[in-house]
Amino acid sequence: MKRSKFMLGTLGGLALVANPEHVFARALSSTLRPGLPGAENRVFVLINLQGGNDGLNCVVPHGDPLYYRLRPHLAIPAKQVLALDARIGFNPAMRSMKALYDRGMLAVVQGVGYPHPNHSHFRSTEIWQSAAPERYEHTGWLGRYLDEAQIPQSELFAGVSIAQVLPEVMIGNRVDVPAIPHARGYGFVGNRNVPVRRAFNGILGDRALPFTSPYLAHVTEITENAQSGAQELPTLIAGYRTKASYPATALGRSLALAAQIAAKSSGTRVLYVAHGSYDTHVNQQPTQDRLLGELSDALAAFYDDLAEHGNDARVLAMTFSEFGRRIAQNGSAGTDHGEASPLFLVGKAIKGGIYGAYPVLADHDAGNLRYTTDFRSVYATVLERWLGRPATPVLAGDFPMLPMLG
Amino acid sequence: MEEARRIPRHVDIPGLVRPAGALDERSALLPFRGRWTPRDAAHLLRRAGFGGTPSEIAGVAAMGMERAVDTLMQLPAAEKLAPPGGLFDAVAFLEEHGGLRALRNNEAERLKLFKQIRKGEFRSLLALQQWWLQRMLDGASPLQEKMTFYFHGHFTTASLQKNVTAKMTFDQNQLFRRFALGNLRDLTKAVSSDPAMLLYLDNARNNKTHPNENYARELMELFTLGLGAYSEEDVRQAARAWTGYEVFPLRGVARYNPRKHDDGIKRFLGRTGNFDGNDIVDIIFEQPQCARFWATSLLNAFLYNDPEEGLVSATASLLRANDFELRPVLGTLFRSNAFYSTRAYRALVKSPVEFLVGAHKAVGIARIDPRSRPALRAMGQVLFSPPNVAGWPGGENWLTSDMTIARDNFLAGLVTGRAIEDSWLAKAPTDAHRAADLLSTELLQGDASPAARADVARYLHDNHNRDQRLRGGTYLTLAMPAFTLA
Repeated sequence: MKRSKFMLGTLGGLALVANPEHVFARALSSTLRPGLPGAENRVFVLINLQGGNDGLNCVVPHGDPLYYRLRPHLAIPAKQVLALDARIGFNPAMRSMKALYDRGMLAVVQGVGYPHPNHSHFRSTEIWQSAAPERYEHTGWLGRYLDEAQIPQSELFAGVSIAQVLPEVMIGNRVDVPAIPHARGYGFVGNRNVPVRRAFNGILGDRALPFTSPYLAHVTEITENAQSGAQELPTLIAGYRTKASYPATALGRSLALAAQIAAKSSGTRVLYVAHGSYDTHVNQQPTQDRLLGELSDALAAFYDDLAEHGNDARVLAMTFSEFGRRIAQNGSAGTDHGEASPLFLVGKAIKGGIYGAYPVLADHDAGNLRYTTDFRSVYATVLERWLGRPATPVLAGDFPMLPMLG
Repeated sequence: MEEARRIPRHVDIPGLVRPAGALDERSALLPFRGRWTPRDAAHLLRRAGFGGTPSEIAGVAAMGMERAVDTLMQLPAAEKLAPPGGLFDAVAFLEEHGGLRALRNNEAERLKLFKQIRKGEFRSLLALQQWWLQRMLDGASPLQEKMTFYFHGHFTTASLQKNVTAKMTFDQNQLFRRFALGNLRDLTKAVSSDPAMLLYLDNARNNKTHPNENYARELMELFTLGLGAYSEEDVRQAARAWTGYEVFPLRGVARYNPRKHDDGIKRFLGRTGNFDGNDIVDIIFEQPQCARFWATSLLNAFLYNDPEEGLVSATASLLRANDFELRPVLGTLFRSNAFYSTRAYRALVKSPVEFLVGAHKAVGIARIDPRSRPALRAMGQVLFSPPNVAGWPGGENWLTSDMTIARDNFLAGLVTGRAIEDSWLAKAPTDAHRAADLLSTELLQGDASPAARADVARYLHDNHNRDQRLRGGTYLTLAMPAFTLA
């Protein structure tokens, strides 16, 4: 039989039944929550630069002759660098981020890393996401934040991952975070057929089953969550318009959706977006320049959009990458897995500028940059000064704060 | 050097939930003498395999428990199994392209060859994943594949990382298959010198001048003892004992090189001697905590999660009494009162692989759907690609909204786009209520609520396209909570 003969419905003729009470009740309740003043309305957007962004050609030490000696072919000529000061400057592809920096909306944290760095993409990504360098932890720091903030299960979009698969950073023990790759790709495809969906909703409602299971309630609850989330999402973002010109890239589309979800009524606290791959072992320059340009332009459009809707002071974005790259270039005009690298925080609420110390190139660890700021210090700052929650239980330790917020 | 605590700590994996009610410790592992029903047969097939087709369940139910367990435990010889066709052979590839010398040629040529090797390896891995899923679905022994799957999650190794090739991955998979109901101590020794494991946990880099502790640590923390049952000094000493192994990645073979082995005296878990790696494993298996660790792991995988202290002790004693031979231990478990208790029934969450293979079986689809790889990725479990060395945590960790959507979307795809004339579904009665009952009986062993069955019946009744409504009804029945549970 051909596929066309049987289809579990199409989108055509589909009337999505959303529950307007949900959205309304949430908007109402979010004004009543205690905590850091205004924290309940704040959104944190985490941008994962997957693959290991080369920090040296991103925030370029154009004042350091050693940089030019160690990277004879790969170094960016000083006159092309978008200088922040006499020592460092941005990759020339980052014009839009330079503009955000000039407006005081962008903070650079230099030399970020963690003790005993791991050079595996998988393990180091896991370390950054779990914020647990010394142990295997299946939850992520933002998942634990959502758990710790005691957000009710009924808040379906408290955390949203704009990705195909939920990243570890958003996994908690209590709060369920949906992974929404794009607004139209979220939901039960089988239920696009109206009679199927009606029956499906009936199946969920009934719990008089002829067996018991320690997981039964959880299975039912999670399916209901997913079903109502899938029905509510279109309502939540319906009618959203923007004049901002997002680049026609995957990241541009993701951040455009992030701006819609971050709108006030959703109750969203944390969003996750991914970009990459920055794993530039071979012929690095064109790839990294393209990616940094995409990142830069998408961030600028994102903040134009947020400003247009009065959300630019409510939303803070931050990048991270699992590691930087080796100081010296390799034999293929690329760079291999390294250690410390810079990260960026963007938003109207941030005190723009340069934080932390640039790693000293001469004082390397077997060819790798030594970190000067533990990434958990950045996380602690975001948790305490932006999300308004204690950092210690989330990070299982105390880390000094950075002064860019509050 | 400061000695760390030696207090064995309970292995606590968040998200694993114990069933409600109390365990009768005295009778838990005694043979089940109650009435053994088709529901029990389906339960056995889910635990000791990947579920059953309606006719497989009926066949096993007709055997009675004793013969059903005996039959499941007859494993075919794994040695003769041929690898799936077209497994990439890096040695042959290089010989065709000028041998190792070609790699020393100019940079561009070298990169080109490496790119082709990576491509070949990736294609092989896809073939290997599909091949294994197909064996789970219709291989000669579901239990042999289930045990192989269990060991893959226990002794995790990720393919295509750290030079682990598809060939090594196949060889390790075969090793697990050979030891399916074998001796856990012997398997632990064998997997320790398996090329894929030697690379994945860096034991191939562990030599007397530059010891690498990664494997020694995980061997104890994740494979045999659990945190707290050994000290940091024990890790260092075990690493010294395990020095000397090398791997030749292109050929995918390992070799023991005595010149790289640390021949000195080691002090390990209170014993002193010139130990080698196998001695370390022997000493580990003498620790009472080792039997408890394996007992907990086996009960979590085959009975229910977070098993009671008394049950862990009893199973650990059984393991020790049988010198860590799995056959008698699992034989006892699959025949036990605890196994057929209501507390164990549907008490586990299916892993995505179990869910996917089980759905093929339930619907009666003979070939693994080619869309399975993206579906499994969305559901959170890709074979030969565990999230980290600790494997897949299971339980509630499989219950997130995106995984739920991915599971149901996979079901929707499975019942769409293929002929159902050959399936038992084609013989479903025309009457909507009888058809809904049949779906519930055959797909869920009746584990649907009366109201949910009525909803499916109403859906079937209102829909006049017979083919379409059978597919929709199948989707709805499999989307009920029972099918997510094993």
